[in-house]
Amino acid sequence: MIGKKKATAKASVLAAAAALLLSACGGAGVDAEASAAPTDAAEVAACGSYAIAMHAWVGYTASAQVVTEIAKANGCDITQVPLAEAGVTYDAMEAGSIDLVIEDWGGGRWQEWADRGAVVEVGDNGNIGIIGMYVPQWMADEYPDITDSANLNKYADLFVTDESKGKGAWYEGPPGYTTIGEKMISANKLNFTAISTGSEQALIDVFTKAAADKTPAIGYWYTPQNFLAKVPLARIKFPANDWTDPEQASGLTDYPELPLQKLVSPKVIDANDAFTKIVKNFTWTNDDQNAVAADIESGTDPAVAAQKWIDANADIVAGWLQ
Amino acid sequence: MSESNSAISVNNLWQVFGPNPEKIVGSPDAALPRAELREKTGNTAAVRDVSFEVAPGEVFVVMGLSGSGKSTLVRCLTRLIEPTSGSVVMNGEDVLKASDARLRELRRTKFSMVFQNFGLLPHRRVIDNIAFALEVNGVNKEQRHARANEVIELVGLQGFAQAYPEQLSGGMQQRVGLARALAVDPDVMFLDEPFSALDPLIRRDMQSEVMRLHEELGKTMVFITHDLAEALRVGDRIAIMRDGAVVQMGTAEELIANPADDYVADFTRDVPKSHVLTVRTIARPLASDETASGRSVPATTIIRDATAAILDADGPVAVVEGNTTLGFITPRDFLLLVGGGSHG
Amino acid sequence: MSSTKETMLIAKPKKLKRSWLIAILFAAWVVLARIFQGQSTLVLAVPEDTGVTTWAGNVAAAIRANRSDGASFKYFFNPIREFIDGFVTGIREIIAIPAGDSSIPLLGWLGVIAVIGFVVYAVSHLRMAITAVILVFTCGALGLWTDSMDTLAMTLAAVIMSLLIGIPVGIWAGLSDRALKAVTPILDLAQILPTLVYLAPLALFFLIGPASATIATMVYSIPIAVRLTAFGIRGVPVSPVEAGTSMGTTKIQLLRKIQLPMSSRTIILGINQTVMAALSFVVIAALIGAPGLGKPVIDALIIRDVGGGFVAGIAVVLIAIMLDRSTSAAISIDESFVPAPASARRRRKLGLVSAAVATIICIVLSRQLAWAAYFPEQVNISKPVANVTESSIFWITENFEFLTTGLAKAVTVGILNPLEGVLSNSPWFLTVAMISLLSLILGGLRSAFITLTLLLAIVASGLWFDTMVTFTQTIVATMLTMSIGVVVGVWIGRSNRAERALRPILDAGQTLPAFVYLIPMLGFFGPSRFTGIATGIVYSIPIVVKIVGQGIREVPTNMIEAAISTGSTKWQLITKVQLPAAKKSLLLATNQGLIFVLAVVVIGGLVGAGGLGYLVIVGGSKPELQGKGLIAGFSILLLGLMIDRIAQYTVARNSAPKH
Repeated sequence: MIGKKKATAKASVLAAAAALLLSACGGAGVDAEASAAPTDAAEVAACGSYAIAMHAWVGYTASAQVVTEIAKANGCDITQVPLAEAGVTYDAMEAGSIDLVIEDWGGGRWQEWADRGAVVEVGDNGNIGIIGMYVPQWMADEYPDITDSANLNKYADLFVTDESKGKGAWYEGPPGYTTIGEKMISANKLNFTAISTGSEQALIDVFTKAAADKTPAIGYWYTPQNFLAKVPLARIKFPANDWTDPEQASGLTDYPELPLQKLVSPKVIDANDAFTKIVKNFTWTNDDQNAVAADIESGTDPAVAAQKWIDANADIVAGWLQ
Repeated sequence: MSESNSAISVNNLWQVFGPNPEKIVGSPDAALPRAELREKTGNTAAVRDVSFEVAPGEVFVVMGLSGSGKSTLVRCLTRLIEPTSGSVVMNGEDVLKASDARLRELRRTKFSMVFQNFGLLPHRRVIDNIAFALEVNGVNKEQRHARANEVIELVGLQGFAQAYPEQLSGGMQQRVGLARALAVDPDVMFLDEPFSALDPLIRRDMQSEVMRLHEELGKTMVFITHDLAEALRVGDRIAIMRDGAVVQMGTAEELIANPADDYVADFTRDVPKSHVLTVRTIARPLASDETASGRSVPATTIIRDATAAILDADGPVAVVEGNTTLGFITPRDFLLLVGGGSHG
Repeated sequence: MSSTKETMLIAKPKKLKRSWLIAILFAAWVVLARIFQGQSTLVLAVPEDTGVTTWAGNVAAAIRANRSDGASFKYFFNPIREFIDGFVTGIREIIAIPAGDSSIPLLGWLGVIAVIGFVVYAVSHLRMAITAVILVFTCGALGLWTDSMDTLAMTLAAVIMSLLIGIPVGIWAGLSDRALKAVTPILDLAQILPTLVYLAPLALFFLIGPASATIATMVYSIPIAVRLTAFGIRGVPVSPVEAGTSMGTTKIQLLRKIQLPMSSRTIILGINQTVMAALSFVVIAALIGAPGLGKPVIDALIIRDVGGGFVAGIAVVLIAIMLDRSTSAAISIDESFVPAPASARRRRKLGLVSAAVATIICIVLSRQLAWAAYFPEQVNISKPVANVTESSIFWITENFEFLTTGLAKAVTVGILNPLEGVLSNSPWFLTVAMISLLSLILGGLRSAFITLTLLLAIVASGLWFDTMVTFTQTIVATMLTMSIGVVVGVWIGRSNRAERALRPILDAGQTLPAFVYLIPMLGFFGPSRFTGIATGIVYSIPIVVKIVGQGIREVPTNMIEAAISTGSTKWQLITKVQLPAAKKSLLLATNQGLIFVLAVVVIGGLVGAGGLGYLVIVGGSKPELQGKGLIAGFSILLLGLMIDRIAQYTVARNSAPKH
């Protein structure tokens, strides 16, 4: 019933445009050309069109791009839509404008949407996500006890900046990322101020500069992320806590290890086509992701980097298509 | 003049702006001066208890300074502004009681209006401006253009039918305004300060044009102006307004010869009397030491036009009406009037 | 004469008194803030909730829970979304995305360019059409053909729907006083509301995607269409309307034959403004899933890809110029009601017919041949443009670090931090009291009352601290904007040559979406509060300069001549005559500057400026903070209202005749 209204609106626009076009020419000759050309996809059963949410970090791009390339090779029509993490993306899935999140860090925030049937979880993607607070390696070398969170306050003065209101500057992740910095600060009773950095690149700048100039800095970082291979960082150890227990939510002391999950729209399940198979079966290691991410970061076009991995791991990819 | 044979009959017309206009009319407050009324009730009476009759074919002038209510009055007559109370009867029909549809019909066929700022439609050609009232009345294009072309001839706009208003001079634009008002062949034309925005020379031309059209077509006209010279020139009768009320109504001669109050007298002070008054008004009995010249002029002659007759005579000239002699005029009387004109 | 003397005698001490009062107030404020530094600041960590934000979160959750089978969604929100989605998809399928089973949109790139050229030619003239074609082609050459077309399609869809609603409502408000009274508060509110605030509540009801982006864009642009249409209808001179009425037109005839044709120019101006508003919103609406150029811009902000973001920004600018120039060219061609002479008309007819034939040929080609269907990949200048941008920004930041970092540091340490100390790091009741007192001195009792109410509402919302952070940034940005804007404004107000030289830059500056400015600023200053402030300054300077310049120009000549004839120096002329006489314009410019700055400072949340904008953005992505995000949006509205009210009352008080 609802679909009818959408169809009416769309039909009226297209009818007006088509009236003009049809007088000029019939069907698009380009399509005939395209289908006449031999493609690998020729024998594959038809695959629908899908939109993949694109989150900003490069690891995500690597995973999403690999899925994109495999799906395209199997006749799927793929659109990539940059969107913020979690809520925005879940709402987009509910609206039908996003079909896949290949790497969800939400830690189950999607449950409410799943209950409504708007989002379907289709398993882990094989990557283990670890978020944490890091300092440049030189600090860990110079102040060996700094990696224990109990000693952080002792060094707080080192981290003071113009923006940090006399306390230590605690560089938080970008607004679209999973961050609990302020909860950690209060739960661990730290003399620090969480400072929003706005972007991942800003964190990279902070750490790169801190490593190069040997200036103090403490900030948000995560794995899998290829950056750690370039600039060594040391993770601060905080007391562990139970991430999934909502009772503890206000007293969170550290980020947990998070098996990253794949989320799809119900449309993907219903279609049961090549895309469904690919996303249900897709799983790879942190090393796999870092390899592709490293290529992308060094300036390779994401599609090319993904294709390189696909070609090198043909058997794994073939397994996903079973 | 009885109501039945007048073209327009206006009775006790009121127009009060403000929070509760109906309550003012008929109350003692109505008599208050404008400022006091506003102070006391918040209302402004723009038209106060105005009544007059206009005969068919007459040019009736309403004259007053700005703010005197004359523009509001003419808008009340055509209901561009809804009057608070009173009646406006045209051809036996009270315009104020007409339904919206009937009012539109009246506007389309029975009366028309000419505006101070012309009110032309800049996006339409002259011919389509003139044919506008016919167009809104559903007359087909061929017929309305034929009629518009007739009127174009009538007002001397030949060759400008296809022009746009902005391509015409002010005087020409107002000719379009006149033509537009004439196009529907109305019974009555309302002219709201039609020439105030024009240069003096062009104004004179246009006044002559209106007088010519009036002679040719014999339309009843209600003519609003703030210019006494214009009023005297075109008007058969003149009503002078002040603070929304009519202070005096009559022919030019009546107003100048017998101003009703200081306001009217002030107004008419600068008018050269010899140009307005007839010899009748200065005729006087023969003094004992005078002997009539034997010459005579008719009583309805304007003094100015009798100049030669008076000055050439070798004695007092008789003013006659039919066979009766009303009195006599000497060159001295004449010179006193002309010379002392400005002192009343 | 004696009465003027008296007024002067009274007025002078009174004026002195007010500025003294303000000075004393500030001094007391600073001292008290220093004493009570850090106490009762109501600071609230990002993940923490208050009663109000929890309540809003619960409401939001309830609304979300209602989505799948609540009646309001089933029979109202979802049908609207589906309808708009269909409409938008239809338009996108013409130029941007594959239509139905086809592999290309209804028009290939050559067809699109031809149609754009033809339409622009038809509404304006050949030179403009060629310009438009070049601009659109350049978007393709920047490697952003599909995104550009998506932006164009989204803008077009939103504009069509906005005009379908806005023009009739505007006509109604133009004809009926009661209607105008009913819509005016909504129109005023829409002018104050920063764009970012619309997104979250609309997403709650219309979810995320092209449809909700279009709806949000419409909510933003409809008021503009309404305002200018009503203004146009009301601007028609009285006498043609009276003439029409006196000739017995019906209301419909009067509207169709007189009021609409005579207000067409203002209504086209309204269309122009609606188009520009829609375009700027479509870019920011990428935050809620609008396809098009906003995506790479946002992407660039998050991963700080200055070069890539700049390329996308250029494409937005090109489309903005194309849309603005061609719609305003449509106005200037109508300047006179007299049509062109017959020979020119014949020539134009011939031109239109041949252009139409060429367009149809291009359309056919674009559907039959691959080279005309897919924008040629060989034509791609995005890499060099991105590289040049990145390296020049790098070069500037490297070599002029003392300028970029120095400027950022000077403002942050010298102005921002001390002001934050006074506004947000002192007890809330002190700040509330002092702002209300200031409002009392500036705008009077009513102003103070409204200010106090709004401030207490902000306190009650629980986001007091973040609101003061945003307010501080707004004030700092406005102070800097005004100090630059007044100087430049005085300059263009006094010099025709400066006016001519700067006018195009100011016009262009006003048409660009605020979002686009963020990218180079991010490049220069990195993620910080100052980046948001710098963007706010750059974005609001054009409007301030324009208003001040006009104010200076409108100072009566006789005043200036009188001053010169008494031997004033240039400096005396400016400070003692022109600026005081243009006081009202200065106040108006400050008000506009504040509102413009606020809108941008809020977006600064994306680049590390913190405050309410950050909460709005975080609230969008973290369901558990959605309530807080919504209340943050509401607090922005309260803050905007407070700024506007104080400014309005101050203006009213200063322009009231003195007794």
